Order: sequence, then C-alpha cells, then structure tokens
Amino acid sequence: MKINKLISKAFILSVLFLASCSDDDSPQLPKGAYENGILVSGEGSGAGTGSISFISNDLTESENLIYKKVNSVELGIYLQSIAFDNDNAYIIVDNANTIAVVDRYTFEYKNEVVTDLSTPRFMTIVGDKGYVTNWGSTSDETDDFVAVVDLLTFSVEKTISVGNGPERIISRDGKLYVSHKGAFTNNDIISVITLSNDNVEEVTVKDRPDELFFNNSGDLVVLSEGRTLYDTDWNVTGNTLGSISTIDVTSLNVDTELNFADGEHPSLMVIDGSTIYYALGNDIFAMDANATTLPASSVLTAEGYLYGMEVNNNRIYATNASFTDVSTLNIYDLETGSKLDSKSVALGAAKIYFN
Amino acid sequence: MKNTLFIIVYFIGICCSAQNDSLVNRLDLVVIQADKKLDKHSSGYKISRLSDSVIVRNMESFANLLRFNAPIYLREYGSGGTSSASFRGTSASNTAVIWNGININSINNGQTGFNALTVNLFDAIDVRSGGGSLEYGSGAIGGTIHLNDNLEFSANRQIRNQAIVSVGSYETYRGIYKLKISNDKLALNAGVSYNQSANDYPWLGTDFKNINGAYENLGININGAFLINDVSKLKFYSTNYWGERFFSGELPNPTSANDKYQDFNHRNLLIYTNDQNRFNHEAKFAFLSQEYRYFEDKSLDIYSFGSSKRYLVNYNVSYVLTDLNASISSYSEYESAFGKTDRIAKKNRRQFSQSFIYDQNIKNTLFLDAKVRKDFNSDYEVPFTYALGVKVKTTQYVFVRANGSKNFRVPTYNDLFWPGQGNLDLEPETALQAEFGFGYKNNKFLIDIGTFYINAKDKIVWTPNGDPARPGIWVPINISEVNNKGVELVLNYKENFNKHVLQFDLNYSYTEAIDAATNKQVIFVPKHLANLNIGYNYKRFSVFYQQLFNGEVYTTESNSNDFVVPHYFVSNIGGDYTLLNSTKQLLKIGIKVNNLFNENYVVQPRRPMPNRNFNLNINYKF
Repeated sequence: MKINKLISKAFILSVLFLASCSDDDSPQLPKGAYENGILVSGEGSGAGTGSISFISNDLTESENLIYKKVNSVELGIYLQSIAFDNDNAYIIVDNANTIAVVDRYTFEYKNEVVTDLSTPRFMTIVGDKGYVTNWGSTSDETDDFVAVVDLLTFSVEKTISVGNGPERIISRDGKLYVSHKGAFTNNDIISVITLSNDNVEEVTVKDRPDELFFNNSGDLVVLSEGRTLYDTDWNVTGNTLGSISTIDVTSLNVDTELNFADGEHPSLMVIDGSTIYYALGNDIFAMDANATTLPASSVLTAEGYLYGMEVNNNRIYATNASFTDVSTLNIYDLETGSKLDSKSVALGAAKIYFN
Repeated sequence: MKNTLFIIVYFIGICCSAQNDSLVNRLDLVVIQADKKLDKHSSGYKISRLSDSVIVRNMESFANLLRFNAPIYLREYGSGGTSSASFRGTSASNTAVIWNGININSINNGQTGFNALTVNLFDAIDVRSGGGSLEYGSGAIGGTIHLNDNLEFSANRQIRNQAIVSVGSYETYRGIYKLKISNDKLALNAGVSYNQSANDYPWLGTDFKNINGAYENLGININGAFLINDVSKLKFYSTNYWGERFFSGELPNPTSANDKYQDFNHRNLLIYTNDQNRFNHEAKFAFLSQEYRYFEDKSLDIYSFGSSKRYLVNYNVSYVLTDLNASISSYSEYESAFGKTDRIAKKNRRQFSQSFIYDQNIKNTLFLDAKVRKDFNSDYEVPFTYALGVKVKTTQYVFVRANGSKNFRVPTYNDLFWPGQGNLDLEPETALQAEFGFGYKNNKFLIDIGTFYINAKDKIVWTPNGDPARPGIWVPINISEVNNKGVELVLNYKENFNKHVLQFDLNYSYTEAIDAATNKQVIFVPKHLANLNIGYNYKRFSVFYQQLFNGEVYTTESNSNDFVVPHYFVSNIGGDYTLLNSTKQLLKIGIKVNNLFNENYVVQPRRPMPNRNFNLNINYKF
C-alpha cells in the first residue's frame, strides 16, 4: 500500500518534473481526472457524508463523491470549505476537526491534519503555511483562534487568538484578513493579523460579516449580512442593517458602506473582474465594484434553496442545496439570465471552486 | 467425555430462558397492574410481551432489548448514543412510550431516547403495534411500548429479593437489586439499577476505538399497593433516573468528539381504584419531570438544556353490561405541561381529553373494541380520533383480527417555539390506518400473519424556505404525506419433551413507506427486518441464540445508492446454569457473547457498532 503510494507519488512528481522541463510547444500532460473543471463541495448532513462533485468545464462530464471514489473513505460532516495551493487541495471538515490533504487534480489522499483544530472553517495559504479559522468550542466565545498549519509536516505549529466566530480568511502583503460572522452567536469585526508578529487589529463593520475580498483598487470589500433581533420570547423585534463595506487596508478605516434596506439580509458575495455579485433571498444582483448605490433590480432569480454561488466566464453557478438529498448546481448565462444546464451535485452543496 | 461436553456447554453459555421463574409460579398471587387498559382494550391488535426473563437477556440497553425481541427498527448513534425507535416505517415521534399507563414522550422533541432510560427494573414490557392506542394520546401512531410494574398481593406474608450483577467487556458493570414485600393487603416493590461502562470498543476495520462513549446511570423505582377494603385499592408508582453519557464521534476523526449529555427523570403516580360489581372507578394523579443537559464541550460547565414538568389528573369509570358481556368506559384526563429550554422561555400547554371505549365479548368468539377520543388543546385544534378492533375465533385455534383507527401527533415544543424557526401555525399530524391479520394458536404453536396500511398526512418536516416570510430559514411545516404498507409475521413455538424445553420466536416484517410526493421509500426505513430467538433448556442448563437481520436503508429522499446504510446480521449467544433451585432460592450463573460473528456494521453512517464482546452474569433470587 505504502509502496504503491510512493510509486504513484514518484510518478506524479516525475510527470510534473517532465511537464515543467518540457518545451512550451510540447503537449501538456493531464495532471489528473479532475483538472479543467468545476468542483462543488457539499457540507453533508444526517442524510449523508460531506462530499465533492466534479463537473468538466465543457459541462459534458460530472461525477459525485470523487474523494470517496478515489480513496474509499468518507469525508464526514460538515465539509466547510476547500483551500488550494499549486499541488494540493485542503478539505476542511468542521465537525470532524479535520483537514484532508489531497492532490488537487487526482484527489488522491496525501495526508491529514486531525489534531489541534477545533471546528475549523476556512483556510488561506501563504508560502508553506496554512492559516485556518477555528471557532473553538462553540459554547465558549473566547477561545476562537487562527491555527497556523505547517504544510510540510501537516501539523499545527501555533495558534493566534482572535475574537468570536472567525469565518472567511484571505491574505495580502504579509497580513491576514478575517471576517467574524460570530459562529452560533453574532459578531461585527474584521481581524487584521500581521504575519511577522501575530499582532491582531480589529475593524468594526456591520453585523455578521462573511465574504470578503480585495477589489481592483486594493481595498478590502466585506459583506455583512446584518442580523434579526428578537425579544426574550424570540419574537422578531427588528433588524440590524446588512452592508457592503469598503475598508482602506492602510488606515483600516471603513471608507464606504452601502447599506441595505431594513430587513434585507444579503449573502454570498463574489467578485468577477470589476463586478460584485450578491444574493438577497433567491435574487442575484450585480453591481460595479466602485458603485455608490446598490442596484435596484436583480440579474436573475435562482431556483430553490440558493446556498452557494460563483461567477466565472460569463456564467453564474448557483447551488440549489438539499440537505436531505443530492443537490443541484444550476448554471446560468450571465448576459441573458437563462439557465444553460443543471447538474446533480453534492449533498448540502455549498461552495464552488474552479480547478 | 461427559465432562468435556459439560465444559463446552458451560462455557459456550447457557441460560435461564425457558425455565420460567419456577419460584414465582408456585405462589398464590394476585397481580395488580397500574394500567389495565392495554389488556382490556387490545382486541384485534398485535402485542408482544417481553417478560423479565427476556429483559434479563438484553440488559445492555433498551435499544438492544427491542432490536432483538420486538418488531421495531432502532436507530442508534453508536452503541449507547442517542437512539430512537419506529414501527412499520413511521417516524420516531410516532412511537409512544407508556409508563404504567402514562405517555412519557418528551414534550420538547416528541420522542423517547431509548438509551436515556433503563428498563431493567420493569417487570414486563409490552410492545403493541398499530394505532389503536387512542387512550395514550399523541404520537401513538406507529405503536406503543408499555413499561409495566406489577405489584402482587399474596395470601401469606412474603419477602422476595432478586439481585443481578454482571461484568462485561469494555469495563461494563451492571447491578440490579429488586425487593418485593407482600401480604394480603399490602404490596411493596423497590428496585435499584446501576450501569456503567467505558464502552470504548474497538472500531472494526479502523485503528480507532469508540472514544468518548462512556456512560453511567442509576435508576430507583418504588411502587406500592394497599388494599383499603374489598373494593378499593390505593397504588403508587415512582421512578427516578439519573444518567450521564458521553457522545462518541464518527469517522473519519472520532477524536473530535467532546460532548456530554445528562438526563434526569422523575415520575410519580398515585392511583385510587374502586371496583364494584358493575361500576369501576379509577382516579389518577401524576407528576412527571424530565430534564436533559447537553454539554457541547465536556470540559466546560456550559450546557444547553430542556426541561419539563407535567401534572395529570385522570378519572376513569367503566360500567359492566352483564347481559351483553360488555363494558363501557369513560376516560377523562386533564394535563398541564410546562416546558422550557435554554432557548425557549417557559411555555404552558393545557389539554383536556375525553375518550369512550366500548368492548364486548360475544360468546367467546367475537371480541370487539370501539374507541373515540376528542382533545381540547390550548395550542391548536386536535382532530376527533377513533379506533375499532375486532378479533374472531373461528375455531378453537384459528383467529382472524382486524383493526382500523385515526390517530394524531401534536407538534412538539421545538416545532412550535424554536427561536426564530418555530411555527405556531402547525397542525397535528394525522394518520388513518387499517390492519388485517389471521393466525393459528394452540398451546405450543402460534402463527400470526398480518398486513397493514397507514396513510399519514400533514407530517411535520423541517425545511429551508418553509415559510416564504423567512427565506433561507429552516422552519417546520405540515407538508408530507406518506403511505405505509407491509406484511408482518410472528411465529412462536414451544416444545417440551422429557425435561427438554425448546422455544422459538420469530418476527419478520416487510415494509414499504412511500413518500407521496417523491414516490420513494422514506429514509431510514428498512424494507426487511427480522429477529429470531431460540432457547433451549434441559434441567439446569439453558442456552439461547439471538439473530437480527436489519435490511438496507436509504438515507436520502431520492433513495440514492450512494447514501445507504447497508444491511446487517448480528448474532448473540448466551446461556446459564442453575446452581441452586429450591423453594427459597434460585441462583443462576450465565454468560453471553454479543456480536458472536464479529460483524462490522453500522446503524448510523460512519459509526461502527461493537465488535464481539462478552458478559458474565449472576442472577440470584432469594
């Protein structure tokens, strides 16, 4: 078994080596069955394991449960997200406190991180370190952290303590940017961590910040969902505002806030080129990254339970997630809003990646 | 050679099975049940009775007791974990657990956790399939499981003791002590049960153990009956339970498991009965409290909880129509329940229900039972429900039985009040069902073949986008309709020849539970389910063998073959040897091997069940 793995590793390495050494005009060898396609990760639920589906870019081929098929084991629940570097995919399963490391093109198991994680959520990679947001114990709002994973030894080398409920994490110029949605409660901060000294600064935004990325001007854009307020009997008494905030990463000031109407809770923000997309319920909206007002009308209305979204090459990919069954990925033409295709994908389909 | 045989038989294990408590049978006893309704009003229904000698064979858990002996499907999140039971493809909240005549399903989630109570102290457990149990209220759609304490008056003063101790694999220790004191006016039972286990069995096919699976629990029951005069009696029942369990994890990384769960249950019941020639009166007062605490992180003293208190007053009167060999009964019950959780402020639900039951025995040939019930609930409208059961003995041995009923299940506190997600507009689930069976019974042999049909409507399902006003939020709604149909077989055979006693008990069922919207089998409903018990007894030796077959279940609505729990066969073997058997003492020593063939199986995905394991027990009555 081990020898087989060694041989296959050696083979892959030699292929990569050959590929990288070969002349530009020689044909590129395929890196694996799951290259040139779309990966959809599903969280899983009591109805079935978290899993990953593959769909070829030309939409002619699709395959579910690719990790289980290649490795004959299940990922468990709940598959939260996947991070990638040049060679590997890092599959983060929060309830299992596990990061499974696979070859990103063959999905063959390489290693795993199973200790020192506590409800891991998202990871970003800088060099040969992975930075993973962790909720810690969800009954303790003070033990949340970012784990620093050595990607050569696949072990957690240290942790950086942060505020409650860290969610998405991205990096740029020696700093990490973490949105704190608040785990099972609520939060309203972005942590900015300086990698050289682990110093943590906080920027306050609107409630429940989730997706974040850099726009073309180098500013940090954050989507805050806003929250619903309840009285002690859990009757709805009001809402806090959802917002798209733009933060100057030098001054850490919130430069602009595009606030949503009271009671609107936006989600699933992505950027493609200079266009920002987000969802309100099942309606998907598009706006220029420099826009000063929110768009009045949506570009299309997605089917079913819109739970994951990406935009690429003039297509909108939107999951209609089921947690009791396999889900559906709907692919829409961005120009016309018409549905190009739909595919059966992972149970609890949540995240979409381009491989 | 004889000695070798002795040793083999001895160590393979031999048991008490057929040697039915000889001690007890010789005594002149009057058995008093807390709940007379079941025996009286079950014409046309299928009941299997698990006696104390059967209970003793599966002391490891209530879930295992039912799995190996009753026509029920058990789900279990790893051995000792959260467990639920369902009849005939209905849901777990359609199984009502009845303690001495009172429905004890949780008002928070509408179910009973089958690893959250021990039943080793009960004298008998009755498992009744079908929806005819109207008098037990909400949730009795699929069937009812009755936990019964039997009190006994005796002509002479008696003191009887029973102690059972057992030691098993994975540091499992169990002890039971029961005391029964009686004379012609007074009967008093007391019992203590204690169980503990590290429960860290190795997971077959992996390098893991069942980490974080330990449990410990203590139960104390005290019951009494007092004969006030020739016609009236006072009875009381009290059961108390304290349990702590850890919840094991699942593959691929069970080391992430870190949760702890505690249960505290206290149930108290006082009954006054007055039995005249024609009129029988019964008044009941009950107070029940139930609390769970869930620690997401066992190292912290932070937990979520749910607790409830229930007060019940119940008055029953029945009148005997001597000429017709019939009786008419009225059951009136008022209940006030207070429930709260860490996330739901205290809510009070009040309910009044009135049932009438008519039963008649026509020439010992036709037995019939007709029931109607109407509830008035402070939270929602409960439909009028009814049931009819008929049994006809066409010859001395052949019988035909039939029943039909309408039942309901009320929404739970979680369904109604869960913060931000509950739905106050829910209506009770309702089910219409019919069953027809026939069989043959003589003093050695019983066969019963039955077929059933259940149409359940307005089933409560939690769905994202269930409420258009709350997009993306999981909300319970009355949505699904399910049609269940199936066939059930019961086969019992008992043979005595020269001191050899052979006993054979088989349950088999085939169940289709089809969701009307998708036309697919409902998730977690095995089509095939069978269990078999074979017992053999010769003089002081006894041996038993248990076999379970649980068919494959789908876990997704579309019945995807990618998401199934495969079928499993599990076998246990056990037996005992009677060291002492006199009028005053009975002493048995037994061993049991669970999962004899070391089957690697799961009941819930990614949660391996115990491998082959052993248990040594001593049962002493004096």
